[in-house]
Amino acid sequence: MFQSFRQAMAWLHTWFGLVLGFVLMAAFFFGALSVFDREIDRWAIPETRIAPQPMPSYEKLLRPAFERMQPTPLAIDAMRPRVDGPMPAHFDTVDSWSAYTTHRDPVLALYAGYQVPHAKDAEERIWAYATIDPRDGRLLPDEQLKIGSGFFFPLHYGLTLDWKNLGIWIVGFSALMMLAALVSGVIMHRKLFREFFTFRPGKAPLRSVLDLHNLTGVVALPFHFFFALTGLLIFASTYYFPLGETQLHGLHERHEQAEARETGLPHARADVSAGLANVDAMVAEAQRRWHEHGKAGEVGFLVLQHVGDANGYVSVYRAGTDRIALVGDGIHFKASTGAVIHEDPPATPVARVSEFLTGLHLQHFRHWLLRWLYVLGGLTGAACIATGFIFFVEKRKKQHAKTGNQGSRVVDALAVTTVTGMLIATLTLLIVNRLLPERLPAAWASRGDLEVYLFWAGWALAMAHAFVRSAPVAQERANPAWYEQCRTVSAMALAAVLLNWITTGDHLIKTVFTHPYWPVAGVDLFLLASAALATVAAHRLKARLGADQLAQSTEAGHA
Amino acid sequence: MPRTFTIDTSGSPRLHIAARVGAAVLGGYGFAWGINAVTMALLSAAGLEFHDAEFLGNLLGVLAFLVVFLWTFAARRLWRVWAVLTSGGALLAGTGSWVQSWLV
Repeated sequence: MFQSFRQAMAWLHTWFGLVLGFVLMAAFFFGALSVFDREIDRWAIPETRIAPQPMPSYEKLLRPAFERMQPTPLAIDAMRPRVDGPMPAHFDTVDSWSAYTTHRDPVLALYAGYQVPHAKDAEERIWAYATIDPRDGRLLPDEQLKIGSGFFFPLHYGLTLDWKNLGIWIVGFSALMMLAALVSGVIMHRKLFREFFTFRPGKAPLRSVLDLHNLTGVVALPFHFFFALTGLLIFASTYYFPLGETQLHGLHERHEQAEARETGLPHARADVSAGLANVDAMVAEAQRRWHEHGKAGEVGFLVLQHVGDANGYVSVYRAGTDRIALVGDGIHFKASTGAVIHEDPPATPVARVSEFLTGLHLQHFRHWLLRWLYVLGGLTGAACIATGFIFFVEKRKKQHAKTGNQGSRVVDALAVTTVTGMLIATLTLLIVNRLLPERLPAAWASRGDLEVYLFWAGWALAMAHAFVRSAPVAQERANPAWYEQCRTVSAMALAAVLLNWITTGDHLIKTVFTHPYWPVAGVDLFLLASAALATVAAHRLKARLGADQLAQSTEAGHA
Repeated sequence: MPRTFTIDTSGSPRLHIAARVGAAVLGGYGFAWGINAVTMALLSAAGLEFHDAEFLGNLLGVLAFLVVFLWTFAARRLWRVWAVLTSGGALLAGTGSWVQSWLV
């Protein structure tokens, strides 16, 4: 089949890159947006446009909020088939209450897990979620979609295909293919070092597209390799290689028992009711201990386990604002007395490496310049894949035009769909978010669901347009959908900025100068920059299209 | 003259590609699972903490998957790839279970 090793690698690079490149585009692009997920959330939910808040007082604010929580009717219905007997009217046995925040979160996420009487799997919990304003404990409406952290972020690693975690598997396999494409790409090119510095924009389109493909691939190679690899590692033990839950369950169990003995943190309830000491005092004690160890910090994660039970304990974890490694430095207290049960020991060397790698991918630390470099790296990855598609088309379209093969036409239309179409889908979501009324008729889908449906509808429309306009590619000409969609992107990005102004009164003069609020200003500025780039791209694509047509008609005239 | 090697081209090329992709994806996964299992079990036996062994097992497993995936496409004889990946994966996974039974 293959004449040489290099040819085998080229085949692998071309075909796996083509098929899974479409998934990788989404992973890179929405991953790049997820770097600023909290900021996009602020843009999308105007009532949360406030400064980040520290973890509020448990006694004053969190306890009443936790006590009000209950699973939604939807969650109860979903649980019903996994329970023998009727569902209770109220869930009373709290397995855990927890609150999570970061240095970029003005709102606080609350989680409550309850035991389910007569559940087929006694370990299974039913969950309730809430988002509150940490200043006054006010409940924020849950049907509002957190576009950044609640949609772009899961889209980035699981395509929001939740059925049997299919999306996570598809993205995982694509990440493996990203690694394979990087290795095979390096093998394919003998003059790797020279290509590092080669970009010939004036040359024939085929050559400059390949230059750009190599440049974006090689310059950011460590970035791409690192993110694909750490992405795989973050999910490996839970999804891709769940050995601890399956084949090596015995070893895992042995470890859990040893850990429970060592830490003294009870795995289950004692079924003896008990009171709760002052949690704020426990938090203060945890902060005092961190300070003593030379790492004073804020609380990122607060967990109350086995609430109301004699075995109950409270875990206080430190926010990872000031270090790359995703660390917790947890301190655990006996709930009924407030006495310290256990303090997490310093990490082992291997754990430190693992925390560093996952921390560098998930970036909970505070470093705005690095955050922007991540966006740039992610977009470079997307550009590398997109130029790969274009190279595929440019290389074949002459041959395909001669033989009547529709291959390059289809690939080109799919490339339009994943490049400009993906931008149109994203902008549709932002525009719809600003246009839909706060309250929708009860019979409709929830506001958040509707936003997501329209996101996919916008993408489908862009795809249909790309295919409808693709006929010229089969005759070796360019698809006009490229420049038409670029124009649409620039108009939509402008519209999103204007709609933000009209519906919330937050324009750039206010968010940059008079009342600086960078999360919203940053999104608006990014949208304006995208509009400008898309306008330039549309203009140049249009000019090239005109030149193409002219050349073809002269050719026809000569013939 | 560079050594050229020909990969077995008997039979339908489509079927051959399907068999190669199948070997790379399924055989590669099985083999990576085996590497993962044996690494975790042996490191646990060597006294490493469970999650440390798990992390190193995952890392080696993913890298092994990458290497055998590329090898599947470069190898001359596909039957040998299938043989190495399936029997190797089973042997490694089996060793992992055996070490576990000895530990637990």
